[in-house]
Amino acid sequence: MSAVADRYEELQELGVEVISVSVDSHFVHKMWNDHELTKMVDGGIPFHMASDQAGNIGRAYGVWDENEGIELRGRFIIDPDGVIQAMEVLTPPVGRRIAETIRQVQAYQLVRESGGTEATPAGWEPGDLTLKPGPDLVGKVWEVWNPSMEQ
Amino acid sequence: MTATVGQKAPDFTAPSYYQGTFTPVKLSDFAGKWVLLCFYPGDFTFV
Repeated sequence: MSAVADRYEELQELGVEVISVSVDSHFVHKMWNDHELTKMVDGGIPFHMASDQAGNIGRAYGVWDENEGIELRGRFIIDPDGVIQAMEVLTPPVGRRIAETIRQVQAYQLVRESGGTEATPAGWEPGDLTLKPGPDLVGKVWEVWNPSMEQ
Repeated sequence: MTATVGQKAPDFTAPSYYQGTFTPVKLSDFAGKWVLLCFYPGDFTFV
């Protein structure tokens, strides 16, 4: 979670709020923040660290591991209408890549601002070409985009 | 109902540690904003 905290300012500039969730109590969250995370990120964790000791939130999001009694690494991007636009679930030993999450947020924000008239091709980064789906583009994507454009 | 892309995110209220305070957090309080919701296996784990 310190990797997300480290990019929090950037997320705030994009209008993104962060909530982290685990089965630990909010008291343990405080201990983890005070004793370890503050050593990784200046000022510690700036966002809500939610506690889900009964696993009810985890069940609702499909990330509850009932054998271990823990929550898997589920990451959800929720839009201003409260709709889930993206989700990723990893088993515990592999960490997320926050840069990819930020890229997806930027892509979804562009799509939303375009009113759904634009789409972002594979590997899209801010400033790259977008696609404008419509009758003229059918069978013609090759003219404007190819895999070598994905960095 | 399990969370699915393109569908409403299940709302919840939970106890939370927030900037030195114990302040409950409610997902729907953030309506109108983008939210990044991150689950993880546990505090004091290694990844």
